[in-house]
Amino acid sequence: MSTELLTTQGHTSRQYPRTWRTPVYTLTNYLFILPFLILFVTFVAGPIFYSFWISLHDWKILAKEQRFVGLANYISLMQDDIWWIALRNSLYFAILTSIINTVFALIVALLVNAPLRGRDFFRFVFYAPVVLSVAAMGIIMSWMMNTQFGIINYFLVWLGLPPVRWLADPNLVIPSLSLATVWWGFGFPMVIYLAGLQGIPDHLYEAARIDGANSWQVTRHITIPLMMPSIFFVFVTQLIAHFQVFGQPYIMTGGGGPGRSSYTVIIYLYQTAWRYFAMGYGAAIAVALAFVILLFTLIQFRVFGRRRVIEY
Amino acid sequence: MRQKHMNRYRLYRFFLKFLHYAVLVALTIVVGFPIYWMVVVSITPSAEVYRWPLQLWPTNPTFEHYREVFTRQDLLIDRWFVNSVVVSTIITVLCVFLSSLTAYGFARLEFPGRDLIFLLLLFTLMVPGQVTLIPVFLLIRGLGWLDTYHALIWPGAVSVFGVFLLRQFFASVPRELEEAALMDGAGRFRIYWQIVLPLSRAAIVALTIFVFLGAWNDLFWPLVVLNSLELRTLPVGLTVLQGTYTQERALVMAGTVIASAPVLVFYAIFQRRIIQGVMLTGMGGR
Repeated sequence: MSTELLTTQGHTSRQYPRTWRTPVYTLTNYLFILPFLILFVTFVAGPIFYSFWISLHDWKILAKEQRFVGLANYISLMQDDIWWIALRNSLYFAILTSIINTVFALIVALLVNAPLRGRDFFRFVFYAPVVLSVAAMGIIMSWMMNTQFGIINYFLVWLGLPPVRWLADPNLVIPSLSLATVWWGFGFPMVIYLAGLQGIPDHLYEAARIDGANSWQVTRHITIPLMMPSIFFVFVTQLIAHFQVFGQPYIMTGGGGPGRSSYTVIIYLYQTAWRYFAMGYGAAIAVALAFVILLFTLIQFRVFGRRRVIEY
Repeated sequence: MRQKHMNRYRLYRFFLKFLHYAVLVALTIVVGFPIYWMVVVSITPSAEVYRWPLQLWPTNPTFEHYREVFTRQDLLIDRWFVNSVVVSTIITVLCVFLSSLTAYGFARLEFPGRDLIFLLLLFTLMVPGQVTLIPVFLLIRGLGWLDTYHALIWPGAVSVFGVFLLRQFFASVPRELEEAALMDGAGRFRIYWQIVLPLSRAAIVALTIFVFLGAWNDLFWPLVVLNSLELRTLPVGLTVLQGTYTQERALVMAGTVIASAPVLVFYAIFQRRIIQGVMLTGMGGR
């Protein structure tokens, strides 16, 4: 934040620094941020505080006056089995997906980072699913994972293996959603890794080669250690993103089935607020969710300071 | 002896290279297959979709499902398509314009409370978007904006991350250029518009692409604030398709192809920029 005033050395007839400092100029400067600021206060900053306020009420959307209930919503939430199931499912999904994505995307990034003819093509293909909407991806994958007519089971049977009840088995549904999500999303961390790999100076590799290290040793002792910041960044950001999973269970398992085995926090929030219109309780769910995510963010900030953009 | 050793080494290198390619090709097939399969199912006659053995290559390709998607009374897919284009475009233009204007203000201009306001922005970056869903919904409802595009556009035009990102890029534009322009009598807005924006083109393009993709693919918010069938965007429309026509797989897939083709084509054209954009910004397009 080292924005000093523009200083000119006084070799022109016009005295910029002086006019620059006058209050009139300072106030017109507000015009640059004013439109954004109005929207920001209305749709971001204000609502963050308003959300907490709503969560202290038994907020019915059609009621004239909202009844203040203090922390009652939070107390109910802590005793709410569905909340704990949803939290458990979201965490399970987020951790599983993030671990697979972090490791798998790194392997793929190493494979397409090597000097190789056609590597741009491979990168192109691997990133492609990322641009699909969750709706499209969910429809495609739920059909492929269909127990009876899905092509994955078709291949399994063809190979002489028993068919798997991907989305129909309560124990398999979250790993299945995870698998679908990895297909959809691993291209993104892959590209983040590629950016990191470009930042490793060549002379380190050359030195290792001269010392007689083979590719595996170079990867193990030079690339991976130097990539640790990227790996950690990917893991934490993936964790935060996948913890907020909604589209996959909404589309692929009919909103969290079978039973509640893929019922996630955002699905619970959606149903509480927009199926039962219990806005107060919904707001409490949202705030509780924010606290969990804040925990993840704090871990990230501890390691990265205030940087959100990766710099190499 | 030495020659023999060299040959063996070369063979080993060749084998490694072959393995490397084999893995990548296998992965390409696995990653590309679902997209291929979506297209295949969409042109398979209804009667054959549920028949084993499955046909990996359509023997009787048909476009009847595409015709049906466009003609069924409750599937306004052409309308949804237009909606998605219009809404996403407006959101993108507004968001990029506002983010860059604001970022310039924070990067280069002086005004009281600037650092404090910026700190507030940073603080809200840590709060996940879900917290604001309910209050913004109630606000939109109060304004009478439910089931209108205002509900999508105005909240969608605010990107704190965009401001933060562009501010960093603008700060790296050489000050001397701006000073020179100031001397030539250019106003602050003109400097922003004609010097800083063009010089930060890479970041602006990346932000534009990712805001657009994000708006195009958003599911939750349009699901919550839109009600009328004819106002929906494509992702919400697809959920209708998936919910109502579960039994007509080929029809659902035809709709999915129509919704996905534009982004895939867009991606194919701008792939280099998109991938560079991810590297530059750490954004992903969702």
